[in-house]
Amino acid sequence: MTASCVIELSGARFSWEGGGDAPTVDIESLRVRQGERVFLRGPSGSGKSTLLSLLAGVITPQQGSVKVLGRDIGALSGAARDRFRADHVGFIFQMFNLIPYLTVVENVRLPCGFSDRRRANAQRGGCSVEAEALRLLEHLDMAHNGLLKRPVTELSVGQQQRVAAARALIGAPELIIADEPTSSLDADRRTAFIDLLFQECAREQAALIFVSHDASLAGLFDRAIEFAEVNRAPAGA
Amino acid sequence: MITALAVKSVRNRKFTAGLTVLSIALAVLLLLGVERIRQEAREGFASTISGTDLIVGARSSPVHLLLSSVFRIGNATNNIRWDTYRTLAKRPEIAWTIPISLGDSHRGFRVMGTTPEYFEHFRFARDRRLDLSQGKPFADVHDAVLGADVAQSLGYTVGSSIVVAHGAGDVSFMLHEDQPFRVVGVLARTGTPVDRTVHVTLEGLDAVHADSIGGFPNDPLAAAMRESESTPEHARPGHAHAGDAAREAYSDRTITAFLVGLKTRGSALSLQRLINEYPTEPLTAILPGVTLQELWEITGAAEKTLVAVSVLVVIVGLAGMLVALLTSLSERRREMAILRSVGARPTLVFALILGEAAFLTLAGIALAVAALYLGLFIGQSWLESRLGLFVGLGWPSAHEAALVAMVAVAGVFIGLIPAYRIYRYSLADGMTVRI
Repeated sequence: MTASCVIELSGARFSWEGGGDAPTVDIESLRVRQGERVFLRGPSGSGKSTLLSLLAGVITPQQGSVKVLGRDIGALSGAARDRFRADHVGFIFQMFNLIPYLTVVENVRLPCGFSDRRRANAQRGGCSVEAEALRLLEHLDMAHNGLLKRPVTELSVGQQQRVAAARALIGAPELIIADEPTSSLDADRRTAFIDLLFQECAREQAALIFVSHDASLAGLFDRAIEFAEVNRAPAGA
Repeated sequence: MITALAVKSVRNRKFTAGLTVLSIALAVLLLLGVERIRQEAREGFASTISGTDLIVGARSSPVHLLLSSVFRIGNATNNIRWDTYRTLAKRPEIAWTIPISLGDSHRGFRVMGTTPEYFEHFRFARDRRLDLSQGKPFADVHDAVLGADVAQSLGYTVGSSIVVAHGAGDVSFMLHEDQPFRVVGVLARTGTPVDRTVHVTLEGLDAVHADSIGGFPNDPLAAAMRESESTPEHARPGHAHAGDAAREAYSDRTITAFLVGLKTRGSALSLQRLINEYPTEPLTAILPGVTLQELWEITGAAEKTLVAVSVLVVIVGLAGMLVALLTSLSERRREMAILRSVGARPTLVFALILGEAAFLTLAGIALAVAALYLGLFIGQSWLESRLGLFVGLGWPSAHEAALVAMVAVAGVFIGLIPAYRIYRYSLADGMTVRI
């Protein structure tokens, strides 16, 4: 293990049944370096979401180890995993990322309410959390046409995804996990979104795990992983 | 931060949340209202008579005697002979007595024959005495003193003339038209049956009855008998003549009951026993407090039903909240997954739902209490004038506070159900956004 290694899985097995007889995820070895942009491709139902839950510390492996930023996730308590996730991981879902009753800026600020570290990071330049949120939104091309004042439910899907990206990036977490964030976008917007995401990740030195079933995007990334090749568990198990 | 989230979340669902609060508020309002009115009715009932140690009437059930003599409900089964009353009233342990004679009415209001002692010794509520709002008590045989309701609803004032009818109905076929009474006083409102009573002198009543002895006025035989018996003056009586008639009838005068005030309360039980075993006439003596208690035991079932119904309504209101919270869970699962993804603990998710249940319940209770006081403030005079209920605007009683606290605790307990469900969901879902 090196310090620059953001993710390190070894012999990690997880089964939703709990026994490990029919594991959903069974990965011999997987490493992601700091700032690396990794494309993870696989059909739905292949256990990708389970892997992401392992990385985020929502679940822990029944065998083997999952290390994020050098910390063994399985050895942490539930509360510590939640705090760890708040501090170090930004998450973008496929869709419906936003909390409907919060404003755009409030949605972006949300992680800073759960993590002192990310709030401190956001305030690094001597500005407020709100200013940092606005800066990120501006970078993601969201700070115009009164978009900020609109209820989040009235934003287009692409706009919602960009707000979600800003939320994942605020406070500079080391790891950004994006679970099919572009599957509901059309082709033009898809590339534009990925470009914006890359820029921001590069700026924050964050590693990016980007999950998709769309192989055509693979070329944009530092590395592409075919999920079926790393996961020894049979698909659909 | 968490509170802000919870508040914004509720505001986002303000329509359902508002309806939930409203239904809880109405349920709690019903519960508190029933409770308040029940308490006040009980208190009002108990304060109908005060300071009277014994009530004596002809042999009957104690509750019946209490109802007929104090509450003017029903009729006495029998009367007491005047000489029996005189003998008993002279007993040394007795401080005062008030004889009362019921059985007549005036346009639907009970007429009660009594003596001036009534105005002096009768007490209600906590030792309050009868005050006159107009005029004075009896001075003459044909004087009448009206209760506040009688004067108000029939529009009588001092100087009005009233005619007494036999029997208690609204429409009576036997009017003592030749013996009118003159209103000399009107009592201040008491909130008791006194307000609906026409008080006349015993002598006046005697005169009325003596005059019509022999039966109905249109009965030819009775008329013939009266013709032969009575003196010519009797046909057109003045006060003095009526007084003569009363004195003539003195020996066979009867009264319905009499109230007794003792010199020392300690002699009540022995005097009660003595009266109940009175050798020459079957009598019943009751301690008003004890008999009121018996009466409560009878009406208790109806009261309990009323309370049970309002408790059920509260349960329905809380069940409505449970339904609303559970329905909101499916759409909030996504919200919870997002919160989990930014680092919220499952316990926070639990606290959000529980806090919402607590908030809705407390808001409902607060609204109910506000509405209760507003309602009482507006409806107070109506309740007092129409139902004779004086419902105070005082602080909630300990009992009411306990009821409200029980509702609050029940609301929080009910909130545990959806809170636990979403807690389970958020553990199971992790950060998978289920739609």
